[in-house]
Amino acid sequence: MKVVTGVVGNDIHVVANRLIDLSLRARGFEVFNLGVNTYLEEFFDAVVETGAEILLISSLNGEAEGWGREVKALKAQYKNLDDLIMMIGGNLVVGSGKAEDIVPRYKKYGFDLVCHQVDLNTGLDTLEAFIQERNTP
Amino acid sequence: MSLLQEERKIILNNEFVDTFDFAEVKEFVTNASKDLFISHHFKQKAKDKMLVQPRGGFPTYKKQFALYEFFVEANVDVLPLTIDSNTRLNDYATASKMLRLSEANDVDMLNGYPLVNHGYRTTRKMITHFNKPVSLRHGTPDARLLIETAIASGIFEIEGGPITYLLPYSKNFPLDKAFLYWKYVERVCANYSTLNEPINRESFGPLTATLVPPAITIVIQLLEMLLSLEEGVKSFSVSFAQNGSMTQDIVTGAVLKKLAKYYAEQIDCADAAIHLVYHQWMGAFPTNRDYAEQLINISTVIASMVGADKIITKTREEAVGIPTKEANAKTVANTQYTLRILNGLPNVVDEEEEEILTLEVQAIMQAVFNDAADTLWRKVFNSIKNGIIDVPFSPHIINHNEMITVRDAKKNIRIIKRGNVPIPDRCYAYEKAQCDLTKDTTSIVNDIIHDIGIMQ
Amino acid sequence: MSQTSNQLLIDVGSTYFKVSTNDSIEQHFRDFNKDILDDLLHHCGATINSFAKEDVYICSSANGGLNTLIIGVSNSFSLKYATNIAFNSGINIIDTILYQNIEGYSVPSDLIDVVIIVGTIDSCAGMFGEDLYQYLGKLEYSNIVFVGSEQDAATIEQNIAKVVVLPNIIDNKLHIVEEHLKQYLTNLYQQDIEGKEDIKHLYDITSNQIYPTPYIVNRALPQIDARYSVVNPFILLDIGGATTDIHYSKDLVDDNLVTTNEFDRLVFKKLGVYKSKQSLIFTAKNNEFVYELLMHLKVTENIFDEQSKKATKILMQLAIFLVLCKISHYRKAYINLKFLTINSFVLTGGITKVLSVAEIEDIVGFFYKKILTSEHRPVVVLDSNYDIWTLGVQGDQSCQ
Repeated sequence: MKVVTGVVGNDIHVVANRLIDLSLRARGFEVFNLGVNTYLEEFFDAVVETGAEILLISSLNGEAEGWGREVKALKAQYKNLDDLIMMIGGNLVVGSGKAEDIVPRYKKYGFDLVCHQVDLNTGLDTLEAFIQERNTP
Repeated sequence: MSLLQEERKIILNNEFVDTFDFAEVKEFVTNASKDLFISHHFKQKAKDKMLVQPRGGFPTYKKQFALYEFFVEANVDVLPLTIDSNTRLNDYATASKMLRLSEANDVDMLNGYPLVNHGYRTTRKMITHFNKPVSLRHGTPDARLLIETAIASGIFEIEGGPITYLLPYSKNFPLDKAFLYWKYVERVCANYSTLNEPINRESFGPLTATLVPPAITIVIQLLEMLLSLEEGVKSFSVSFAQNGSMTQDIVTGAVLKKLAKYYAEQIDCADAAIHLVYHQWMGAFPTNRDYAEQLINISTVIASMVGADKIITKTREEAVGIPTKEANAKTVANTQYTLRILNGLPNVVDEEEEEILTLEVQAIMQAVFNDAADTLWRKVFNSIKNGIIDVPFSPHIINHNEMITVRDAKKNIRIIKRGNVPIPDRCYAYEKAQCDLTKDTTSIVNDIIHDIGIMQ
Repeated sequence: MSQTSNQLLIDVGSTYFKVSTNDSIEQHFRDFNKDILDDLLHHCGATINSFAKEDVYICSSANGGLNTLIIGVSNSFSLKYATNIAFNSGINIIDTILYQNIEGYSVPSDLIDVVIIVGTIDSCAGMFGEDLYQYLGKLEYSNIVFVGSEQDAATIEQNIAKVVVLPNIIDNKLHIVEEHLKQYLTNLYQQDIEGKEDIKHLYDITSNQIYPTPYIVNRALPQIDARYSVVNPFILLDIGGATTDIHYSKDLVDDNLVTTNEFDRLVFKKLGVYKSKQSLIFTAKNNEFVYELLMHLKVTENIFDEQSKKATKILMQLAIFLVLCKISHYRKAYINLKFLTINSFVLTGGITKVLSVAEIEDIVGFFYKKILTSEHRPVVVLDSNYDIWTLGVQGDQSCQ
């Protein structure tokens, strides 16, 4: 399966980004890594150009809250992304916050999977489980 | 008037620069105290004394001055001047605003010293007051104005280069432009070098400080050295950071020194002085301050084994944030102490590792030279674009990111996937043979995650 | 870089043509009642006839260039890459369609010279369908080229007559691949000239390929400092009779384009001081700073109706200001330049014969103060002797 990934906005955490890339490849995904400092539009545009089934955005400096609410409106402008699996992971708030508050909020923003301060492998296990569940009739 | 001089006039005619007096600056450099030139210290230093240089930069003149007082008290050899990130992006307007706020509120609103905004007339007072060599640390792709200001201030060592200051820091600054801007820097340094002692240029070997294999580090060091020497620079420092394995550090140092000399001779620049600089561990630091000090101490021992001419230090507060001047000065004093008591070091040579690394570096260098472009900088540009040079964990879009490295059981960094980098087959087989490749790829990824936090 | 052997260089613009030999450069206002070749021969027949065909080099922007329509599947990749390549190939008129919304676009009534279809990387298939073919069925065009996924090429060829298929301009890392499309478009430009009545006779006097002028200019820019003290990063403005060209140093934008050309190009098609005068005035009247600018220049709005030398000057100054607005953060456009790091402004074209450095600096200063609230003042350089295109044409010969 094809995945578009990258780090959003003004965030230069390249090491985490490369590790996500490597881990996804290790699990057999075809990865399109947009790297750090990526705009939201570029993510969706890359999904269109690559035919990716999954979009995995990471955000480590806590600024996701700033753009998270724009995701839904932006995605609505694209006509063929209804089946796209949307996942976000990293540090999703500045300072501390409880996962039980954060996860529903990001789900409301349009993400199917929300991993706040979850380690990489657990996060990707969740993704694989989600895909499997979806594919079982 | 030469074209370079006309270009300099335009660059220095900037609204944030008070009138730049070329004749006065020339006169200042000509008559400057030899003590300000690190190239002079390299020549003078007793064979065994490694120069110690900490890191550090504060926004205001007052705080930078106070930092230097602490350093001098701790018996520093080389003072650092670290530049703030707005200046690195040529955003002098924001730097100016933040400097004013820092001065008014006594809170640091910048992560370094905004040299262009302070100007050379002010900064020179501080540099000449302490009369020690100062090294400029920045990370600027277009450093033309910054370097002019630095030299006019009495800062006669300039760190950086078109590759080492771009690939680790930037996503899309055009690399070809960076080469042209650094060519200007080399020319200005070369011109000033004829007046007094030479200006020293230093490359930034640590790159992304994350699992960069020695072959890549060395190739980039050699290429930046050649790009500098071909413009007339007469004093150059190649550098690298602690790898994580003592053997690999010693081998890296030996091969780097040997090949720097060799390639400098190849372009008829044997008259240039080449030095070796060692960075204490540049990766993730332990949060435990006592452990951090142990790590720093080990780094100093390895630097001595490597035979470095200068060591650049870290602090016990590295994991926490911008270090205080107290912590910074403490490292200097401790490092000087360790160097003083380190005597009778054994001479360690690992011939097999040296041979492998030498072959790797030579193969990559040859591939770069074989590029069809007519200038060295464009050969290097094309080689990076084609993935002949590939820097692990670089955020830059031009970088290939196809090479994969891991640590072997002895913590040497090994190449397990070479991408487009022309690592000779024999060397590649050797590298892979040192690692356990029977593991599945997920556990290799887990190893990489572990390797990045190896010192924590 | 000097002209080593004796050559004749000719640039045919929409308003003027320029003729340059080793010893002299002359320019003439075009007579639109005449065929271009007749017009040229009328003014400089003796000079032209004294050169052999292989020593004559011509570039032209006179026929307005190719009218281009790009159909792509995303703004950040296919449309952006194709637009970048088209501009750098010297194309002036570019309209874009985002494929998913194709049904909402009206069909242009003008003949399109070339349609470019682009979208998805090679590992994707099945992007384009019936809605594309229906749209194309309503469209009048002379050429059509497909530069999308190789897997879609066969279907495209089945459904679109005479389509040219070239390698994808987007590689598997989502990076741009320029060369094939660029070569196609410059060749098409040549064929276009050969097919156009008023300009094709130019091949009677040269045996060399006629290139679009902006293509030549763009290629000359990396060497421009051999002629002028121009300092990177810089922009070059070519305000002509019909269009305005901007060539800008790549480090002035934050684009994720890995290319080997140091400069990119952009055109504003309806900003000119002669053929496009009315649309220039219209744009000016809709800019909130223009009245202040007119006051600053000590004239009133009535200047727009005048036919004096002074009116031309004002119009040119306005053109500079409006173009700068269009590429600054003040107007969100195809690009927004980092104006505060620009060291030099280079101006070429007819404007250098009308405005002085001081008059241009005045406008540039006004722009920085009003729009960017900055004291930054790049150095203004005038390419009054057309050194840049001479440099470009000569560079072309050395490549051959």
